[in-house]
Amino acid sequence: MTADAGSAGVNGTGSGLNPPPAGIPASTGRRMRGIRLVLVGIGVLLLAWGAFVLFDSVRLTRIPGVALWIAAAIVLHDAILAPIVFALGLALRRVGRRATGMVIAIVQGGVVVGSLVSLVAVPLIVAENFAPANPTVLPLNYGLNLGIFWIVLALVTAALSVGVFLRWRQPVAALPDDSGR
Amino acid sequence: MYESQRALASPVRNPRMATVIGRLLGAAFLICFGTGLYSHFLQEPLDWMRFATRPEFLYQVTQGTHIVAGIACFPLLLAKLYIVFPELFAYPPVRGLVHFLERASIALFVGASLVQITIGLLNTYQWYPWPFPFRQVHFALGWVLIGLLVIHIGVKLPVITRYWSKSTSADDDHLVDAVSNDRSANAEAVRLWGPSRPGGVTGRVLDYIDATPRVAGGVSRRGFLTTVGVATTAVVALTAGQTFTPLNAVNLFGPRKKGVGQQGVPVNRTSEQALVADAAMAAGWTLTLAVAGTERSFTRSELLALPQTEVRLPIACVEGWSQMASWRGVRLRDLADLMDAAPDSSFRLISLEERGSFSKTQMGREYVRDPLTLVALELNGETLDLEHGYPARMIAPGRPGVLQTKWLSRIEAI
Repeated sequence: MTADAGSAGVNGTGSGLNPPPAGIPASTGRRMRGIRLVLVGIGVLLLAWGAFVLFDSVRLTRIPGVALWIAAAIVLHDAILAPIVFALGLALRRVGRRATGMVIAIVQGGVVVGSLVSLVAVPLIVAENFAPANPTVLPLNYGLNLGIFWIVLALVTAALSVGVFLRWRQPVAALPDDSGR
Repeated sequence: MYESQRALASPVRNPRMATVIGRLLGAAFLICFGTGLYSHFLQEPLDWMRFATRPEFLYQVTQGTHIVAGIACFPLLLAKLYIVFPELFAYPPVRGLVHFLERASIALFVGASLVQITIGLLNTYQWYPWPFPFRQVHFALGWVLIGLLVIHIGVKLPVITRYWSKSTSADDDHLVDAVSNDRSANAEAVRLWGPSRPGGVTGRVLDYIDATPRVAGGVSRRGFLTTVGVATTAVVALTAGQTFTPLNAVNLFGPRKKGVGQQGVPVNRTSEQALVADAAMAAGWTLTLAVAGTERSFTRSELLALPQTEVRLPIACVEGWSQMASWRGVRLRDLADLMDAAPDSSFRLISLEERGSFSKTQMGREYVRDPLTLVALELNGETLDLEHGYPARMIAPGRPGVLQTKWLSRIEAI
């Protein structure tokens, strides 16, 4: 049972070409197999068409640049971004070990929302330095806007956290003997 | 590898969550692909293609949606990658040719998706820090990605169908909780390799990770979904004001702002970039119409002397911004009739601009005959600004901004 739980949880998200999970009747399995083959076939055709369009419309000397960017994107995510996110999550749980899970989730959520908005906003600030094509492109003060956004986000996150924390402590304080908590 | 997977185990990293976020991301990809194709064929129509001219804000909506859905892909794609990240450490890494192809297709899918949304975003403010042409690569990658999406759905179909609805996923949620909360994976590791920790750097790191308190599965999952929802809403709401008026007030991070520009309308390509200022301001400017061998030239005052029509139409750009405006000028249909053009003829529009991919464009007969299509001479009650195409420009319902030819020089029936 323990081993089963492990494999379902950790490996269950992927490896789709494994046999269908137990509990699916054989007939469904055969029909499923047919549908999957058709989908993969259509997908391969579309992919091939995309590759043809790429080689047909982009000069051959520019193709390595495309490949390089795709490879760099994978490395950037898998080797840099994901480990940072993992380490941050870990650190936050460590620091917040005395707080309730809800508060950790809210603070974590606030940091993630802020980071994702920054991901979209920071390139605007960088691009402003490259003299936009005309004054109607990038007309706003994006640095200021991002600062305002973070302040509002921090206030909202703090208010939610405090609210949840107080509600979590309330019943504890009401008990005469809370040594168990 | 198993160690890595165990360390990365989390209540949100389960197939049900992958299905839930995957559905949203898949929908966003399909929306981007559909609206992208529509925009592409508007600009490069095949001969038999005809397009809807109503509602007149059609392109504003399709292209605005294209950009909004693309921006929504940032939180959704990163959330999806977060959920399935432990898959990166699958062991053994390759179990055969089919498994290798599956993993290779996933790698390409991830890399191409990240590149596609990144170059798309930067293109909305005309920043091109990459060594390849944007338009062609963005279009080709669109096909590549939709192919990879269909392959991915085919490969994962058993997982997707199993975890599609909440009721059929409930049991497995329980199992996933068992992994992350009851440390059964840990127990499994101990059974396999014995209690050998902490020892060495890896051992210490893993021990540290194991000792870190975990957040309850339910809180974690709800928190994750809420976070993804809030983040997606935030990036959309704070940028979409550049095209959807109700969000104008919270347009903090849109590359354009409604009302900012000459005569209250943003500009994409300037007269300086197009090198047309001299020709456009020249006193001898005329607009030449050529139909079936007959040519006739109109000065600006001759055009102003013809019956004038006022229309309210948005300029809607491929970059995702749009701006409603009042235009006044001569109906193209009236000019066509004046020249006895056949009712089914398409037109070629030629700008003073000599270079640039849109200096010569074609207009299908559905736009030529539309009563809202104007050779515009005035914008928002004033003489058209040079940056908006003085002496005369096209404005037609439901077409991308790049086809609303500025600095008109010649119109030919085809």
